Amino acid sequence: MTDDRQAAMRGGAPAPIVTETFDAAPGRGAMLEYAGICKTFPGAGRTVVALHQVTFTVRRGEFLSLVGPSGCGKTTLLRITNGLEVADEGTLALEGSVLSGGSQDMAYVFQDINLLPWRSVVKNVELGLEARRVPKAERRERAMGVLELVGLADVANAPPYTLSGGMQQRVGVARALAVQPKVLLMDEPFGQLDNFTREALQVDIAELWEKLGTTIVFVTHDVDEAIFLSDRIALFLPDPGRLTEIIDVDLPRPRTGYDVRAHRHAIELRSYIVDHLGVGARRPR
Amino acid sequence: MPEPVAREPAPARASAGNDQNQPGSSGPGRGPGALSARLPAVPPMPLRAARGAAARGGPGGAAAWLAAHRDPIAKVAAVAVFLAAWQASGAFLNPLFVSTPGKVVSALGTLVGNGQLPAAFLRSLLEMLGGLVVAAVAGIGIGLLMGRVRLAERALEPIVAFGNATPSIALLPVMEVWFGIGTAARVAFIAVICTWPLLVNTYAGVQAVRGRYRDIGAAFGFGGWQQTWKIYLPGTVPFIFVGIRIALAVGAVGMILGGQEIGQSGLGGLTADFGSYSETADLVATIVTTTALAMLLFAAFRRLQHWRFPWIAATSAGRRESLGRRGWPGRGATGRRGSP
Repeated sequence: MTDDRQAAMRGGAPAPIVTETFDAAPGRGAMLEYAGICKTFPGAGRTVVALHQVTFTVRRGEFLSLVGPSGCGKTTLLRITNGLEVADEGTLALEGSVLSGGSQDMAYVFQDINLLPWRSVVKNVELGLEARRVPKAERRERAMGVLELVGLADVANAPPYTLSGGMQQRVGVARALAVQPKVLLMDEPFGQLDNFTREALQVDIAELWEKLGTTIVFVTHDVDEAIFLSDRIALFLPDPGRLTEIIDVDLPRPRTGYDVRAHRHAIELRSYIVDHLGVGARRPR
Repeated sequence: MPEPVAREPAPARASAGNDQNQPGSSGPGRGPGALSARLPAVPPMPLRAARGAAARGGPGGAAAWLAAHRDPIAKVAAVAVFLAAWQASGAFLNPLFVSTPGKVVSALGTLVGNGQLPAAFLRSLLEMLGGLVVAAVAGIGIGLLMGRVRLAERALEPIVAFGNATPSIALLPVMEVWFGIGTAARVAFIAVICTWPLLVNTYAGVQAVRGRYRDIGAAFGFGGWQQTWKIYLPGTVPFIFVGIRIALAVGAVGMILGGQEIGQSGLGGLTADFGSYSETADLVATIVTTTALAMLLFAAFRRLQHWRFPWIAATSAGRRESLGRRGWPGRGATGRRGSP
């Protein structure tokens, strides 16, 4: 991307962003448009280029995973998306309007869940609604509705630390969904859970996504998880952190764990991705 | 071979249970099948019941009872020995230096009876609570301010470092000069020395909360004030309770010191009074009352924490619990036996 084009976009001009050709898919407009995102973390002795010229589009309603080994900038990109970090260069637009520092239309699910222990489950779910100054009665009603959705209405008044890890992350998802976001940002949300719980939650989140139609950007280093959940997978590589490719996951929906993981296309995808990213992608942090 | 090791305790139990079961389970042949036939019939319960029966009736009964109540017995015995030695020492030592428990109890009775001790207790308690309230407002307020506002942090850091390092007793005359010789100076003294631990702990707490919950407030779109009230203040409460515990300890010192030095008031004033007249029994009775006051305050704040903030204890216990579930202390022990 040329410098004058970047300057134009930083100035707020709604320049059309051309990324991959398949973005022109009919009926699916752009939800998030990243253009030339750069982020550098100055460190002692070594400066880490977390993101270098990342440009792509997240389509409305799609489930997109960011996959790559540690240090490839995928979490940084998610944090920039929600305004938790500020990009050094480049722009981010939500539904065509350029953002500066996050948006009320997005919600975040953290890897380390981060429920507030002094609040009950339902009060945790109300957190985002309080920030948006929703009146008390409506807050409670919406929070209970979302808890119902994730199957935790019966523990609404329990303190969060009495819940299992899987249930806590369900609350984390409910807390994000309560604000009815246009885009749900999930940062390795199941990374701390055991295998069985993780697979159960993967099925749940796939069902929720199909039911709600929310656009989801999902960070993971688990290739199988990405294949199971995603419409598309964006592959990132480190040093410098960069987007190398976006691949389509042409697997039928609705998916269940067994049929997808055994699907021939899934196996091909998996070996392609692992080859592409190197073995580092499967290594835990 | 790990398996025989793992099963080792089982035959021992089997034989213990077998003594009772044998008349009923009279097998004709005690061949190789007898062992496996015996194994299912060995629940752990009969063994424990047998041991209990032996403890009740057998010669080992007293020993077993002692073993079961070892800790409280040790505590009571140590206190009894101490009191007895103290009482006995009264026969040899000048009563001016060492009173005896008997005399202290009777002095306590007299001082409570004539209202002197209850009045002093109440006065000291109120001064202490007054000082604590002022210290809490100032310490928590300034600690939060420093934690949340960068400019305030920079500006106040040297003053806090200076004040925190100042030996508190040096401030006693300052309080007299500022507030005159009276209740106000005593409360102010307690307030000043209790402010520092509350301030420093609150400030440290805000930094700990920032490390842990910073992203939450930002990710959910809270403004600065909302973050302070909804995330930083509640998140800092465990640290504030640590500050309160330290403040109670230094505050109790301040309470007595103020009572002794600024006029003569409350329990501190009584200790100074009795000390100067060498009323040793009265003095010790007052000291015991002071200790009771301090312990009462400690217990009250501990109760408050468990009542209003159960999550503080629960979340640290929860961490231990999650370690346990991975099998370290509990199940790990039985698992380890089979796999060395």
